Amino acid sequence: MIFSTNPWVWVAAILTLCIFSFLYKENPFYRFAEHLFVGISAGYGVAVYWNNAIVPNLFVPLFQQHNWWFIIPGLLGMMFFFRFNQKTGWLILIPMAVLLGTGSGMSLAPTIQTNILKQMQSALADATNLKLGGWGLIWGIVTLFGVITTLSYFFFSREQKGLLRVSANIGVWFIMIGFGASFGNTVMGRISLLIGRVQFLLTDWIHIIK
Amino acid sequence: MKILENLTKINRRYIFLMVAVAVIVPLIIPMNLPTIPGKYTIKLYDFIDKIPPQSQPVVIAADYSPSMMPELQPMLESIIRHCFAKKVRVIVLTLDPNGAALSEAALKKIAPEYDAVYGRDYAFLGFKPGSSIVMMSIGENIRQAFPADFYGKSLDSLPMMANVRNYADIPIVVSIAGSAITQSWIAYAGTRYHANVGSGCTAVSTADYYPFLQSGQLVGLLNGMKGASEYEYLNQKNGYSKAPRVAGKGMDAVSIVHLLLMAFIIIGNVGYLVARHNQSKKQGA
Repeated sequence: MIFSTNPWVWVAAILTLCIFSFLYKENPFYRFAEHLFVGISAGYGVAVYWNNAIVPNLFVPLFQQHNWWFIIPGLLGMMFFFRFNQKTGWLILIPMAVLLGTGSGMSLAPTIQTNILKQMQSALADATNLKLGGWGLIWGIVTLFGVITTLSYFFFSREQKGLLRVSANIGVWFIMIGFGASFGNTVMGRISLLIGRVQFLLTDWIHIIK
Repeated sequence: MKILENLTKINRRYIFLMVAVAVIVPLIIPMNLPTIPGKYTIKLYDFIDKIPPQSQPVVIAADYSPSMMPELQPMLESIIRHCFAKKVRVIVLTLDPNGAALSEAALKKIAPEYDAVYGRDYAFLGFKPGSSIVMMSIGENIRQAFPADFYGKSLDSLPMMANVRNYADIPIVVSIAGSAITQSWIAYAGTRYHANVGSGCTAVSTADYYPFLQSGQLVGLLNGMKGASEYEYLNQKNGYSKAPRVAGKGMDAVSIVHLLLMAFIIIGNVGYLVARHNQSKKQGA
């Protein structure tokens, strides 16, 4: 076991162990590392956004290129700070309205096309495309059946009884299978993060593995 | 029966300890479990493999932060290695403020391995805020979103950018992300500008992207550390990389921990059923 001589590796390793100490119980080392992380992340975020958003998108056009139109978005952006004052707090509604309006306008059409129309098109196409044949066609039909039964579970305009209830109950099974797949992947994801930290400790810090 | 009931009341710290052992031992003593590439990894790999050398560049959007590094950094490195080995040009950009340092480190590490030259074989555009606006700007002209690269050089001064204007000149955008930003790439780059989109995502978000694979809106998908390991394997199998398989080593530990967790789930549920059975018997008596 040869320990690293890089002081930054030591800092990272000690902070990692501080965070892991939470698994035993809540303690001051964990809290120190947690607060340090929150503070550094916020500071880093401010610096990055200042240099990559405010300076090139506002300061340079305004003060170097003298493009005075940029005063309008600049003022709208600054209106967000009115939130800190009770009397002028309502002024935040103006930039919020602009933000929501442009955001919705930009995303509405592509989102509907991407998440609804293309998905419906694909579900129907796979279930009716005889050229797929065999398992391809069977899975297409299963998918379409899953889509319809799951949607029926979320149909609340009528009391769920009779055929609608049967369909909704089948839909619940499809939803559960979806949750199971998500949970399995979540476990793999979380374990991967742990592995990443352990790999760092064993490779970069104490050089047990190469 | 009593043992099973008691096992459900075990101190959680023993479980943490067992998970720690299950992670550490396979990392120190590798088991070299076989890697079998999945269908969607192969699809993405084959798509990139077929891009002609020294032609239009692949765009890799490294939209992730250090907390997702174990899963996503090996993906980014594997795809860059694949491109450099095939002499496919690469543009790396990020829409996550933390992604710039990670993606620059990957490029600086890998470029010398393949004698890749900055500006000729690859370009690094750095971070730009305003994700969806950036995606749409690239659809009009990439210079609108990124007038200069990460180092402040004009894009026109980079030889590889000479014939690159918008998505029409980009064979594929690979979004490596741990958030829903990949959905925005699909919506804006894919649906609106008809670009091919591939994805490398954390295992947590994989289930959200399967519908896009089935509908053909995604070319291929790398699923967390498993996907990264598969891509590393394909690179090595085809002689594109001699670098150690970082994700591949981790997959031994993933497999062992999964077995352990499955055992915990079975024990927990059986113990719960036994306890419930005993309780109902007591109430009946």
